Amino acid sequence: MASYSTRVRSDIARWVEAGLIDASTGQVLARDVEANQRASLSFGSILAMMAALLFGAAILIFVAANWEAIPRLVRVIVLFAVILAGYVGGAVAKTRDHAAIGEALWIIAAAAFGGSMALIGQMYHLSGDEASALLVWGAGTTLAAVALRSNPLTIAAVGIADAWMVLKGFDYFGRHDLPHLFLLMAAVLFAVSFWTRSQPARHLILLSLIFYLVLLAVDDASLTVAIPLVVGSAALFAIAVAAPGPVDRIVQLGGRLPLHALIGFLTGIAIIQFQLAGESAHIAAFTAASVVAIIGIVAALVLAGRESRGLRWLAYAGFAFELAMIYVVTLQSMLDTAGFFLAAAVMLGILALIIIRVEKRMKATDQKGVAA
Amino acid sequence: MSGRKLIVSALVLALVQIGFLGWIIAGRAAILRSGKEVLLKVEPVDPRDLLRGDYVALGYDISRIPTRLIANIPAGQTRSDDTPITVRLSKGVDGYWQASAAWLGTAPGAAPADQADIAGHISSGWDLTPGTTVTVDYGIERFYLPEGEGVPIQNDMRVRPFGIRVALNGRGQAQIKALMDGDKTLFEEPLY
Repeated sequence: MASYSTRVRSDIARWVEAGLIDASTGQVLARDVEANQRASLSFGSILAMMAALLFGAAILIFVAANWEAIPRLVRVIVLFAVILAGYVGGAVAKTRDHAAIGEALWIIAAAAFGGSMALIGQMYHLSGDEASALLVWGAGTTLAAVALRSNPLTIAAVGIADAWMVLKGFDYFGRHDLPHLFLLMAAVLFAVSFWTRSQPARHLILLSLIFYLVLLAVDDASLTVAIPLVVGSAALFAIAVAAPGPVDRIVQLGGRLPLHALIGFLTGIAIIQFQLAGESAHIAAFTAASVVAIIGIVAALVLAGRESRGLRWLAYAGFAFELAMIYVVTLQSMLDTAGFFLAAAVMLGILALIIIRVEKRMKATDQKGVAA
Repeated sequence: MSGRKLIVSALVLALVQIGFLGWIIAGRAAILRSGKEVLLKVEPVDPRDLLRGDYVALGYDISRIPTRLIANIPAGQTRSDDTPITVRLSKGVDGYWQASAAWLGTAPGAAPADQADIAGHISSGWDLTPGTTVTVDYGIERFYLPEGEGVPIQNDMRVRPFGIRVALNGRGQAQIKALMDGDKTLFEEPLY
């Protein structure tokens, strides 16, 4: 990774010197190389990141073991040393063009910060809930991501925020207060992700927001959450498809905003359907929701299916889910096991036919596009 | 970001994080060093399984406060909010400190010399009508033990009275100082 970008940069410098391109173009090219070098992950950088994660886990488990052979003041000092060495050493590695090693060291330092908090909690028997410790850890990691402008640290901060939300959302005793603070965290991290050029963090935030809404719907008030989610997702989809260029310049999601909108749409519809499915009085409303779902899936395929293979497969999965859902709710009571197998066979057959036809058409138009 | 600037911001970042952690340690050590010491009686919270991972879950006799002790429940309020609570402790004849009064929020005045205030927290939804009790968290409901030492202590706790020596600072913040098996000190915490 580093070697490629280094080579291109030296090439650019040579081209500028030879007069093949002017200096401003050279600068633009160099900046582009720098901006995109993160996107391509090499095998080595993946291994470095995995090693960092393992090292971080080792720190946390080491703290949990509460090993008395090493005095705890020594343990604290060792962890502080790891924080200092990780952040500064990572920065040094980064400036010497070892970006992957640098980012990995930063992740270790962030893990050591979390481990230190666990150790302090253990030293002084603090019984404050884990959730608030995660909150502080996430804040510290966000600060690190901003200060070092690091993509992996931004993703780590989103991951910690997610862990906080899940812990808080499923908290057995404190079920009354839902983690609404997550919305603020998501907004802050979304803003941070532009500064740290972290597209994966933005994807993760959008998925987490949908998950948050599911938690909210499970807690209570399903429809008041789900209906705005469906409408909002449809609107977002429409905007993203109508003006793909400008929208992606703003959100910078690599053109995958429609994919997130479709996930949101399908999730919202599914919540509505689960809510309505139990009661026979709501069968008309359930049917209406199912019709909206099918129309939405077809519309998504027609409007944006060509550009995105991922979106197509998501639409197929959503379609299969809808078939199963409609079957379970409307027909289940009338059919026995044999009928179920027959119905499943027919549904899979229909699904296969549709997928084959759509994929064929997409391919045909693609080739026409290439030929033209 | 230029090289030197990146290294400087990494250094500042590391010092900020380490400073923050050090500040927590210093605050806790200060309570241990100069806080007022009280002895609290431990009551097993859940007789089946006190041991959670690497710590023992602790309940105290002052974890349940009768609502008649709470002096300032607003008239007409029957359910608690999510709120801090201050509990005034006085020493009983058996050496253990017991709750003698409590206030939602802070106490109206400082505790007399033979008493001490401990700051706790109650969650929302507790019944506040007379004759009921509310459950209070003080942030001292855990005792971390070295790996493998939890089970025997947990077993002893079921048959003998255990105590926790706690240090309290002026604002009522509690810090566990020692785990007591009757009169015997099992674990005494160093400052650091």
